Amino acid sequence: MKKVININFQGRVVPIEETAYDILKQYVEALRRFFANEEGKEEIINDIESRIAELFAETLKKGSICITDIDVNNIISSMGRPEDFDGEEENVKTQLGGEQKKQDNSNYHQQADQQQYNGGPRRLFRDENHKVLGGVCSGIANYFGIDRIIIRILAIIFFGIMLIPYLIVWIAVPSSATKVIGSPRKRLFRDMDDKILAGVASGLGNYFGVSAWIPRVIFLIPFLSFVTRWSHWGLFDFPQLLSLSFSPGATIIYIILWLILPEAITSADKLEMKGQPVDLNTIKQTIQSDMEGFSGRAKKFGEELTEKVQEFGKEFAPKAQQFSTEAAYAARRGSRGLGDIIALIAKIFAYFILGVVLFSIIATLFGIGVVCLGLLPIKDFIIYDGWQNVFAWGTLVLFIWVPVIGIITWIIRKLIKAKRNSFILRSTFIALNVLGWVCLISLIASISKDFKYANNPVEENVTLANAKVAKLEVRLSGYDGKYYKNHNRWLDFEPFAGFTEDTAYVPNTRVRIIKSKTDSFQVTVLKMSEGETKAQANNLAEKITYNITQTDSILALYKGITINKTDKFRNQRIIITIAVPVGKRIMIDDKISWKHNVHFGFNNNNWNDERWNRNYYNQDEDEDWEANNEYVMTVKGLERIGRSGSKYNYKNNHGSDNDDKNPEELRQELEQRQRELDEEKRQLQNGIQEKLRQIDEDKRKLEKTIDSPAVKTYRYQKTVSTTKPANCIQNASDVFEEDMLPSRLSSYRVAG
Amino acid sequence: MDIQNTQSQMRKGVLEFCILSVIRQGEVYPSDIVDKMKAANLNIFEGTLYPLLTRLKNAEYLTYRWVESNSGPPRKYFVMTDKGLAFYEELEKTWKELADAVHLLTQPATPTSNSNQQL
Repeated sequence: MKKVININFQGRVVPIEETAYDILKQYVEALRRFFANEEGKEEIINDIESRIAELFAETLKKGSICITDIDVNNIISSMGRPEDFDGEEENVKTQLGGEQKKQDNSNYHQQADQQQYNGGPRRLFRDENHKVLGGVCSGIANYFGIDRIIIRILAIIFFGIMLIPYLIVWIAVPSSATKVIGSPRKRLFRDMDDKILAGVASGLGNYFGVSAWIPRVIFLIPFLSFVTRWSHWGLFDFPQLLSLSFSPGATIIYIILWLILPEAITSADKLEMKGQPVDLNTIKQTIQSDMEGFSGRAKKFGEELTEKVQEFGKEFAPKAQQFSTEAAYAARRGSRGLGDIIALIAKIFAYFILGVVLFSIIATLFGIGVVCLGLLPIKDFIIYDGWQNVFAWGTLVLFIWVPVIGIITWIIRKLIKAKRNSFILRSTFIALNVLGWVCLISLIASISKDFKYANNPVEENVTLANAKVAKLEVRLSGYDGKYYKNHNRWLDFEPFAGFTEDTAYVPNTRVRIIKSKTDSFQVTVLKMSEGETKAQANNLAEKITYNITQTDSILALYKGITINKTDKFRNQRIIITIAVPVGKRIMIDDKISWKHNVHFGFNNNNWNDERWNRNYYNQDEDEDWEANNEYVMTVKGLERIGRSGSKYNYKNNHGSDNDDKNPEELRQELEQRQRELDEEKRQLQNGIQEKLRQIDEDKRKLEKTIDSPAVKTYRYQKTVSTTKPANCIQNASDVFEEDMLPSRLSSYRVAG
Repeated sequence: MDIQNTQSQMRKGVLEFCILSVIRQGEVYPSDIVDKMKAANLNIFEGTLYPLLTRLKNAEYLTYRWVESNSGPPRKYFVMTDKGLAFYEELEKTWKELADAVHLLTQPATPTSNSNQQL
């Protein structure tokens, strides 16, 4: 029982026993070695091969199912083995006028190799003849026409960086042996006989030896999930963009495969497509066969290296000796050598730069593409259906993703030396990209038109539940700790403070603090918007609903301005002005997201930090403040009290966290402060009692003056009499509240 | 002195001449050359023939053209150039002289291989 494989041998598909293939391979290798120094080496081998292929075809025509060992051996003996025509070669060469100079040094070898690779269109092959491990280095050296020892040394120096590319090239790049006589390995084609779209899936199925439906389903699964998970933004989990579970990724992979895979047209293609399945086993076999004799080859490489070094030394030593006499000559030679090296380095460097530039273009476009995909869910809040929508999609697909795919395809085609359809492909890409530019420009023009006019700002008063509180704490409500849900390490992107089906929340709010002219807090809201017309801008500004509620001393601002899909986002923004009366305190929570203002700056409409409110307000009134700090309004302006809010001081409030002083000292200090506080408390309590006594006295006096004990009047008197002491107590309790003690302490400490 | 070596040396000396004379008769496919030479009892390996043809072609004594074949890829057919013809005529002259000389020398029935070896 023997395994039969199909090979593409000199343009013919030949079914051949695996063992017979090995014999053939060895034979061709032997010929190759024999003619290594021959000028027309490649041609001779080719002629012999095509003759062998012809003989194979004859054998098959006679009715054989496949080529056997015996067939191959017969053919080889009729062709003659290298040892049969050994010796006669030199004879013939000298007969031909000694044109062929027999050179056995490594230089000549290298030239011959280069000719071999210069023969056809240059392709990257792993060099089977000069391999140490997988022939990757010598293959690359052949490709660039440089000494393989250089690449090898580089590979060893940059072992870490080169390892993964090395493995990739090892697996992906065919060995030069496959160039010599067809490849028993499969090739990836698009299967045109079993196609639904472009035959990519069925080609993949053939390659991996599975039903075409399996790759098809794999390509389709993300689309199914795309439908079912439509409302979940987890879909836009960008690090997995290229994974198959992400539908744009699957589509991109499909398109790229479509573009780079050749169609299986000839029967040879089809046979190659369905040939020996590529699985782990065959890869293992390939690597095993490559690894055979690795140690020996590595040793040889080591010897070669020492030899080279020695050679160099030998070359160099006499030169150094001659230096005094032949200084100029040696210098010239030396400089030429050096020049070559510099040229080589420059070449490598140029390729490197080119690679980096291409890579960064791709990366940039890719990044923009990803960001734009991330913007998709908020698209409906900004642009209108119809042409604008078309332009938006056109921009995303044609302007951003088409170049990405185009460049990747170009690079891959360049690497695999594909020729087919290059012109059509290129013109298609260029045309699509031009269309992308058109879309982009139209989109910008169309959207900027929608932002053309600003409204006439109107200030509105917000009625407070209790405008006379002593302290106002501004906090954010409705905020769940997250903004835009797609918040990951790849993309810190949170323009909107969350979404629902048809509402987006834009944190376009700004808080300014001014001094109140009255003795109560005052809050006003200035609404601003832009629009296609002045009227629309005014209308949109009017429609801004912004929720401000006061409960006791807390003023809650909603997480964002609500934007719906009909009215769209047109740079709606508000300025909240809080007027603080003298003597009252204010504190603003840092959760109010000041940094995340969203806007589109098409019309240079004065949108930056300094000019935000210059249009309307006189900035001299503005007070400076920082979040999480408590301020008190004085006649001169805002003044910070303590640092109770900031994290640093919060830490200091706990004595145990303070390692500047030892616990004993701290305790003493605490006790002293406590005593001071107690003193103050006693004095204040005395004050209260004093006040209460006065009030009681007033009450008694009032009761005396009343002639009739009417219920109404009595009640009136009672309210009058109770409000005042209540106020006093409230003030006092502020001081004596248990949690206030530490803050007082810390403020003492700061002072001390 | 190896008898086999000497014999093959003798054969090889005239190999090129023989091949050229086959090609001189008209456009020919390499395996036809082998067949013709076999028919004349002069065995040659194709493995030897192809390098020879390539060398002769590179020396511009031969040229070839691709001929479509009804089975498989096109084949290379060789034909002689003018330069090749001149080369051939030179060889032919030498061969005739040599053959005469050998004939003369071998008549006295004292065969020596030394004279042949000088080719």
